[in-house]
Amino acid sequence: MGSKRTSSSVRRVWTVLGVVLTAIIAFSSGYLVASFTQNEAVGFSVVDDYGRTVTLDGIPDRIVSIAPTPTEILYSIGAGSLLVGVDNYSDFPEEARLLTKVGDAFELNTEMIIALKPDLVVCGDLVPRQLIQLGETQGIPYVILADRTVEAVFKTIRLAGIITGHVDEADQLAANLSERVNALTAKTLADGVSKPKVLVETWSWGTSISTFGPGSYGDDVIALAGGTNIAKYAASEYPMVESEFVIAQNPDVVVYTMSSTTKDAIIGRSGWENVTAVQQDHVYSIPDDLISRYGARLIDGLEQLAVTIHPELFP
Amino acid sequence: MLRVGPLSASTTESMGTEYQRIVRRRILILSVLPIVLFVTVIVGTFIGTTGPIGPGIRTATGEIQRISFEDAVDAILHGHGNWPFDYHAIFWTQRIPRVLLAVLVGASLACAGTAMQAVFRNPMADPFIVGVSSGASVGAVAATLSGLAAFAVVGTFLTPLLAFCTALLTVFVVYRLGTVKGKVYVDTLLLSGVAMAAFLGAIVSSLIYFARQEFHRVIFWLLGSLSMQSWTADAILALTVGVGVLVIFLYSRDLNALLLGEETAHNLGTDPEALKTIMLIVAAVMTSAAVAFTGVIGFIGLIIPHMMRIVVGADHRVLVPASTLAGAIFLVWADAIARTVISPNTLPVGIVTAMCGGPFFLYLLRRSRVEGEK
Repeated sequence: MGSKRTSSSVRRVWTVLGVVLTAIIAFSSGYLVASFTQNEAVGFSVVDDYGRTVTLDGIPDRIVSIAPTPTEILYSIGAGSLLVGVDNYSDFPEEARLLTKVGDAFELNTEMIIALKPDLVVCGDLVPRQLIQLGETQGIPYVILADRTVEAVFKTIRLAGIITGHVDEADQLAANLSERVNALTAKTLADGVSKPKVLVETWSWGTSISTFGPGSYGDDVIALAGGTNIAKYAASEYPMVESEFVIAQNPDVVVYTMSSTTKDAIIGRSGWENVTAVQQDHVYSIPDDLISRYGARLIDGLEQLAVTIHPELFP
Repeated sequence: MLRVGPLSASTTESMGTEYQRIVRRRILILSVLPIVLFVTVIVGTFIGTTGPIGPGIRTATGEIQRISFEDAVDAILHGHGNWPFDYHAIFWTQRIPRVLLAVLVGASLACAGTAMQAVFRNPMADPFIVGVSSGASVGAVAATLSGLAAFAVVGTFLTPLLAFCTALLTVFVVYRLGTVKGKVYVDTLLLSGVAMAAFLGAIVSSLIYFARQEFHRVIFWLLGSLSMQSWTADAILALTVGVGVLVIFLYSRDLNALLLGEETAHNLGTDPEALKTIMLIVAAVMTSAAVAFTGVIGFIGLIIPHMMRIVVGADHRVLVPASTLAGAIFLVWADAIARTVISPNTLPVGIVTAMCGGPFFLYLLRRSRVEGEK
């Protein structure tokens, strides 16, 4: 009797699971279809980089960007003309500087955003509460454009293309960048190519060094450029490590962001004298934006880093 | 039964054997604390991400590497570096100067805190009460945001230098506000300090607001960290802290008198005005120098004196050295935790001091109250 009851309840569980699974498949395929159906007149839905489904009434023609990377991405696919407002840090390309400023992701000027009457707001990794409130009270939808790997940059660019109706430009750009990455990795990731240990320093405070940890796009960029990130086992995405850790890891190459410090300062650090990169003079700078923003220029950063780490591969 | 609540003057002189017991206890504590400090410094030097006491580092291949005790001792004593690690550099340029900085900063904050609590006769007083931390913050944040701090030679000492100057300037202004015709009005001083801190805090906030992309750098300073360590910093602080602690210790009998009230202190042969001025200057110089290198490490200057008062009583001849030693011990351990708890990542030490010290102090406070009621 006991076994009979068990089997009937097991069957019930299976039935429920089956129904739920069918429902999930039905819904998600519906979303999949939705994300590829678009029409000027009719609304359409997209799934953004945080997995949110956003429904738009049509192709937006007034977009506000509240982070530099989405701004860059929109311009790079020829959709910059749709922008009516940007955050204070959107300084690339030049035209972006001329647009109305709406504060930044830490402190949005919501009145300004409402006054601009946008039909879409695009944001990066930081999603401010104010933006969510704007969505709720003003019905202004927002799409999150944020990614953690080089591969995901292409996806984000394509997503931006779908949103703005610049699908062809986005696909072309993504294909172009992807080709550049493939051409690069064909050299850097080829068999027999060494994997020098690399420290990419974004900023420092005394003996504490900030760098890229596991799961960050920086970590991915270093790997694709043919290096080994010395902080790849750190405890967070953007860890702060001590000089003692760097000395022990003994990197072959040190790359620092231009605005953060100078080569002399790094070479002159106490205790770094015997670090291979310092001894062999492999200390290089990289422009901040090429490594701190994850739009199309991240590929420029990747190429520059690859040349820095493997000068022998790029004569 | 002896009550040793915060700031209650010891009233035990007449209590024969009880007094003997307390004296023995104080002698015991004063002889144990230096030994504990010595052991702490030794152990603290061995604690770190790369070991010997620590989680070790994961190399590119994923294996864990850790310095052995033998190699560590060899590197420290004979200066041998054993590749692929530069052991020698790890100990002599990183760990040892950092542990010494923790000793000096912890000692200066706790010692100055003890003096300030006596001068203000207020349990909420700490070394920052006359505006040292807010003053230093303005200088440090300005130096950091100006971008100059990032550059070699000059930059290393620009931030501390500017922080030191603005801290002293602030203390001077607060002191002037609280002094009329040579008389130091403690309550006016206290309120001026609080108002000044709020005003300067607003300046710091606005500086940060307008240069928000540099915020990550500033936060390190505001949370307090020992990353600005160097032998030069140690040497400068050894001088200021050494002199400061000595002066405060030499005035410990006068601080006892001051606790009985300014009138009484005067009758006991202490000039309260001169004493307050000297204590303020010494504490300000000592903590400004410390804060200039480390940023605002909270908690130590407020809590360690209270902790020690619970343990050894309110007699400053014992309390001053006990607090000084305990502050040093506490900060070395707090920094050891900050360096290793989420290794290889490092934490600003100010987070650790507050997180570990707060609950422990609440425990001590509650226990002393409960025992006092018995």
